[in-house]
Amino acid sequence: MIFSELYSAYYNAVANIIKTAISHPVKKDELRKIIEENAFGESVLNIEPAFAEERWQVIFSDGTTNIENDPVMPFTTAQKRWLKAISLDPRIRLFCDDAFDLPDVEPLFTPDDYVVFDKYSDGDDFEDEGYRERFRLILEAIKEEQTLKISMDDRRGRRLSRIIIPKYLEYSEKDDKFRLFALGKPNGGTFNLGRIIKCEKYTENIEIEKMKEPHHEKCSVVFELYDYRKALERVLLHFAHFEKEVVKESEKKYRVTVVYEKEDETELVIRILSFGPMIKVIEPDDFVNLIKKRLIDQKGCGL
Amino acid sequence: MAYSEVIKNFNRIRDYMREFYVYGFKSRDEYTKKSGRSYDDERRRIESWLGDHMQFRQTQEGKNVFISIDSRTSHHNPLYKAWKTKSFTDGDITLHFILMDILVSADSAISISEIAEQVDMYVSGFDTPRTFDESTIRKKLKEYIAEGIIETEKEGKTLLYKIAPLPERIDEDLLDFFSEVAPCGVIGSFILDKQNERDEEKIAFKHHYITGALDSEILYSLFEAIHEKKAVTIEIVGKNKEAQSEVYVIPLQIRFSAQSGRQYLMAYMPRMKRIRSYRLDGIISVKTEEACEQFDELRETLNGMQVHMWGVSTQSRFKERLEHVDFTIRYGDGEQFIHRRLEREKRCGTVEKIDFNTSRFSADIFDSSELIPWIRTFICRITEINFSNKEIEERFKKDIEDMYSLYGLEGGEKT
Repeated sequence: MIFSELYSAYYNAVANIIKTAISHPVKKDELRKIIEENAFGESVLNIEPAFAEERWQVIFSDGTTNIENDPVMPFTTAQKRWLKAISLDPRIRLFCDDAFDLPDVEPLFTPDDYVVFDKYSDGDDFEDEGYRERFRLILEAIKEEQTLKISMDDRRGRRLSRIIIPKYLEYSEKDDKFRLFALGKPNGGTFNLGRIIKCEKYTENIEIEKMKEPHHEKCSVVFELYDYRKALERVLLHFAHFEKEVVKESEKKYRVTVVYEKEDETELVIRILSFGPMIKVIEPDDFVNLIKKRLIDQKGCGL
Repeated sequence: MAYSEVIKNFNRIRDYMREFYVYGFKSRDEYTKKSGRSYDDERRRIESWLGDHMQFRQTQEGKNVFISIDSRTSHHNPLYKAWKTKSFTDGDITLHFILMDILVSADSAISISEIAEQVDMYVSGFDTPRTFDESTIRKKLKEYIAEGIIETEKEGKTLLYKIAPLPERIDEDLLDFFSEVAPCGVIGSFILDKQNERDEEKIAFKHHYITGALDSEILYSLFEAIHEKKAVTIEIVGKNKEAQSEVYVIPLQIRFSAQSGRQYLMAYMPRMKRIRSYRLDGIISVKTEEACEQFDELRETLNGMQVHMWGVSTQSRFKERLEHVDFTIRYGDGEQFIHRRLEREKRCGTVEKIDFNTSRFSADIFDSSELIPWIRTFICRITEINFSNKEIEERFKKDIEDMYSLYGLEGGEKT
């Protein structure tokens, strides 16, 4: 069962409070800080009185505890079954050579039990040993803030090299690809991991202060949504992962604002087109013209 | 009952969270057909759990509450927090930490009477010590045995209890990744919660749909049944969201959409003698039934059907066995990536390169209407399109005409 108090934020907060109280009597401000870090906005209103009134008899009113050892919890069956299931995923080897040793555990699911039916078929090759080595080197470099020299081929087949400081990786389940966001000179950049051929630590001195962050330009598009053929639900689910705002204008008409990154504009144009006449872009003009241009070109196709 | 931040039943909050996150334009009045107080309590809870992700907008109809999350900047799915809110009694939490401490301190497995004796000693320092009788302790131990965190062994006729082996620390990057991309990822999030003092996250997610998290318990139960090859009775909501009904099905596979976040159960329905899909967000409960002898055969049938499935539909809407669709697109000399797009985005069917600037896609599938959104993404270069289902073809062409009208392009060019 997933919905269990064993996994609750309150149990986690109390475990940390006990851990602190074992080392020294826990003070009120420490207690509040732990609650804030482990539980929710109003949790302090419940946890503090529960201790003060001695309802939860694991912390005394002076901040000491009757518990002797740092709280621990073995993996539940659900956790073990989930770990066993992910150990069957080829992507596990990006992170470790040997998956978990859970010999007597039945996986919660196997790769035959589910399908991601609309991911693209040209994802990264996670089985490639070279890819996995580069992936791990990049992860380590992010953690240690190390400089790397990466090499890749451009579209014309020319070998390019860049000196970068990796910041973070980004995974898209739809593309089934990782991208690397990195500081660089003269500009920061985004690199598809699948296109990196070589990656090594770079030990020569660099002028870190001249390295720039990758460029992120936030834009927004406003469209009218006409709720026919269940368009409201389909559109809002489809755009759910964006920061967005929805205003109902009339029974069948909604005004939707979606915030996106400039580099994703073409993708957003075709995603909007996929909803056909259920969406009309109204702002900004540049975006409206991108849609119009495609429609005008379509008119010229003689369909 | 007095308001509490934690909850006993997940189903009601599941609906509210989905409404606030996916829709986010409804005013209080639209939620309060049943109970205004219920709305206020749920809103307050979600606000407490999600903090700044919960936002408000004042409109003429009143205050609208919505959850705003840019999943690209959140390393962890904020909706997982809802799964960490299960209520418990004062006795539950007291007994939990004391039992774990007793068992972790014990050199070997111990009996219920030894445990009960020690529990009394643990609470004896409080002004009004709680009393836990042996049956209460035994019940809690039984619960924990079922959860897998306590094990038993026998010494003669006496049952002895010991703590299950403690886990080794698991790589946080691995957990960060799989807790977001693997089915039932919330379980990975539970493991992360117990691993304190961690490094900063290194992986972010694009095109990341997080709403499925709200259906984790349903998904978990279905995976259990699939793994055990058992039938289930599912309680589902009807189209108007009010009516509920029960259906007996053989669950065969889960299909996830990376492009909408929707999750579907593919199941055989004995009453109708066919395999069909059910959206997980429309399933209220799952009750496991007996094992199904035909499971392997049915799974094989489903696997065979997948070459004709674009999404989750397993039947033509117009009673044809299969529907044919093909379309041709053209592209410029420098746009060869368009052909590659067809290749990588197709889920079934074939792609043919006609000449340097022209490609054609064709497929025979159960429901050709499922392809329409994808075909529309090629608007600006579609030169020919044919559906065996003429009604769908007409609708597709009419929709394009309607798009021209929307942007004032019915006549000639008007940029």
